[in-house]
Amino acid sequence: MGRKKKKQLKPWCWYCNRDFDDEKILIQHQKAKHFKCHICHKKLYTGPGLAIHCMQVHKETIDAVPNAIPGRTDIELEIYGMEGIPEKDMDERRRLLEQKTQESQKKKQQDDSDEYDDDDSAASTSFQPQPVQPQQGYIPPMAQPGLPPVPGAPGMPPGIPPLMPGVPPLMPGMPPVMPGMPPGLHHQRKYTQSFCGENIMMPMGGMMPPGPGIPPLMPGMPPGMPPPVPRPGIPPMTQAQAVSAPGILNRPPAPTATVPAPQPPVTKPLFPSAGQAQAAVQGPVGTDFKPLNSTPATTTEPPKPTFPAYTQSTASTTSTTNSTAAKPAASITSKPATLTTTSATSKLIHPDEDISLEERRAQLPKYQRNLPRPGQAPIGNPPVGPIGGMMPPQPGIPQQQGMRPPMPPHGISSYVYLVDFLSIHINLSAKYIAFKSTVHRPTQSIFCVLNVFCRSVWWSSSRHARLPSWCYATIWAGTANGAPLPRWASSTSDGNETSCNVARWPLLILLHPI
Amino acid sequence: MSLFGTTSGFGTSGTSMFGSTSTDNHNPMKDIEVTSSPDDSIGCLSFSPPTLPGNFLIAGSWANDVRCWEVQDSGQTIPKAQQMHTGPVLGVCWSDDGSKVFTASCDKTAKMWDLNSNQAIQIAQHDAPVKTIHWIKAPNYSCVMTGSWDKTLKFWDTRSSNPMMVLQLPERCYCADVIYPMAVVATAERGLIVYQLENQPSEFRRIESPLKHQHRCVAIFRDKQNKPTGFALGSIEGRVAIHYISPPNPAKDNFTFKCHRSNGTNTSAPQDIYAVNGIAFHPVHGTLATVGSDGRFSFWDKDARTKLKTSEQLDQPIAACCFNHNGNIFAYASSYDWSKGHEFYNPQKKNYIFLRNAAEELKPRNKK
Repeated sequence: MGRKKKKQLKPWCWYCNRDFDDEKILIQHQKAKHFKCHICHKKLYTGPGLAIHCMQVHKETIDAVPNAIPGRTDIELEIYGMEGIPEKDMDERRRLLEQKTQESQKKKQQDDSDEYDDDDSAASTSFQPQPVQPQQGYIPPMAQPGLPPVPGAPGMPPGIPPLMPGVPPLMPGMPPVMPGMPPGLHHQRKYTQSFCGENIMMPMGGMMPPGPGIPPLMPGMPPGMPPPVPRPGIPPMTQAQAVSAPGILNRPPAPTATVPAPQPPVTKPLFPSAGQAQAAVQGPVGTDFKPLNSTPATTTEPPKPTFPAYTQSTASTTSTTNSTAAKPAASITSKPATLTTTSATSKLIHPDEDISLEERRAQLPKYQRNLPRPGQAPIGNPPVGPIGGMMPPQPGIPQQQGMRPPMPPHGISSYVYLVDFLSIHINLSAKYIAFKSTVHRPTQSIFCVLNVFCRSVWWSSSRHARLPSWCYATIWAGTANGAPLPRWASSTSDGNETSCNVARWPLLILLHPI
Repeated sequence: MSLFGTTSGFGTSGTSMFGSTSTDNHNPMKDIEVTSSPDDSIGCLSFSPPTLPGNFLIAGSWANDVRCWEVQDSGQTIPKAQQMHTGPVLGVCWSDDGSKVFTASCDKTAKMWDLNSNQAIQIAQHDAPVKTIHWIKAPNYSCVMTGSWDKTLKFWDTRSSNPMMVLQLPERCYCADVIYPMAVVATAERGLIVYQLENQPSEFRRIESPLKHQHRCVAIFRDKQNKPTGFALGSIEGRVAIHYISPPNPAKDNFTFKCHRSNGTNTSAPQDIYAVNGIAFHPVHGTLATVGSDGRFSFWDKDARTKLKTSEQLDQPIAACCFNHNGNIFAYASSYDWSKGHEFYNPQKKNYIFLRNAAEELKPRNKK
């Protein structure tokens, strides 16, 4: 940002401190974010308009502008786009922007604490007069109480650095101010008011506890913070921290109020929502400069119906969406992220972005029985395959592949007959034989799972036609839901039948061809 | 039936015999059901080229088989033959004379199936499953192009076990299409490469993807002079991009459109966005069809930029689609595509291939 008088050139939203390239977009943003009725989603034009609408239509009062940063939630203030912004806020904004540019320039040069001090001292004077004005949002707390920050400020800053470590979420270098700010900020007015006249020390202490509250600040912090860390003189604060734990919320505003003074540039980024807002604006922006984070908006408001819904079918809902065509590819490319993130209004029916559906499916063991593994289970079916493998009497085998409950194969012809509940006779046609002790390398296996209760035969095979001659059967019995337990089937010697007495168990029978 | 052995007969063609139950929604469009459809999800479909009299449909499935049916004009489908791989079949294509079918499988090989002798021999080998397979017929050479998840594109003379050429891809090959002299390959990580096949295949251009999500399917379209001029690319985010290779005005000519989504205007419910599983262009009209995980197919006119038709919702995703050589028949396969993961897989659910008369519905709209 190297331009001065930014506010004249770039419209910004008074409620949340976000920048926009165009006032039209700013207005759209305000309507969608700040002047939208939370009950019926009607978009109004101004804050008071929204308040009136809620009162008349829903009989509800509204006391704060939605999605506004603390200190900027005044519902009575009639702001439309850039009109109506109080002069002092304008000034503040201008200053903030200037500071930012200065700061970024300074950063480039060197992170010199001396420099920073100079800057701070200079800034502090400018800040002090502004206690009431919420600088970039986090100031509000300071403003209200009219903290006598100035005197106390010098004391505060010193303590801040030590605090930093204590507040993990805070970025290093986020000058002490930050930590306190967020909590106060988030709670908006309440805290600021309770703040007045607080001992400065207290606030600092309060900083620690707000730790958890601080994180939100983080995003905002970084931009402005750089120099603070090296500041000398901060150490004293540590004592302050110890002082008070409770009532933190109230406290933090106070210290922050003072703290910011020395570090004017810091204040700006502190404000979490401001930071977020900035981040959001810097984020993906569609062709109309609406932040793409609100993808739902873009999806629901077709940019331009170049693809008119010319539907003849009754599937009108799909057709209306389907028919929208995004603007030319160029604009599309500006949009990064996946829809999954925007989530509120859309959901991608796809498990994972990294691999394709086919890759995902092919990883399943049941689809992996191919060339290298002879005698593997036929593709069509559940885990059983590996078990069958070639290892006949190995009870341990079933556990491989995390036996899933056997799934009924489909379309099997009736090679296996279920005789009765208590004993199972498997009469295999001449093609399927179960016997033999020696295992040669089977070319394929056939499994069948018999659910004794249902008398249904579950059966899976890949090359069902082909078991040439002797093989033997391993019968696994198990519960319907769990992994089968191995039971070794007796194989008779008559070549065609194997029988096994397992009562009320679903059986898994592996027949190994030679 | 029983040509294919395993399945219990589905009976003759005609409207579904399962249609008796009122809640059954497997064929809401009342299209012709192909008999003896595969036992597991269908991965790819392909109709025979015009050089072969009649219509023959080839389908590769996750049951490791490739099946061939003859489709008669009456709508009757007669199973003709079947071949097996040792892994799920992901891609099929015909040779230009209609005598051979090429199949690509997860078993890292590709086979050439001679229909006359009903023999299949392996013609290609990769280090990872082979996803796409296309036959290239150039004036001075013919070969088979295979794209695989091993990030290579290999060209095979079917007589030799060594590839004629190997081209490296930036990522795993997810889909490809060939209309001489152009070939398009879309890879993982949204890679997109166009090849020119004259003389010998070479990379023509790498294109920055017009889509922001994983590529899923691609199909080349032709211009009025029947030359390939661009392609349609579908992603998993219910969107298709129409991209011309050298348009006069790329910003205006290239565009994307959303499809296969649910609940578009209903803001209270989140919109479900489905993957586009297949795109096919009508050989005569130049209009296109898309099929998605939502179980619907849609017809579109890309020049008029309008939608022509959307089908009713089938109870399973539609995994593949294709047109026959003269555009009279539109075939689509209804089977689970894994879009909701393993949990929703029901191996007992039957997989269908439906045939629809496509002569009328795909006529282009008059430009508005």
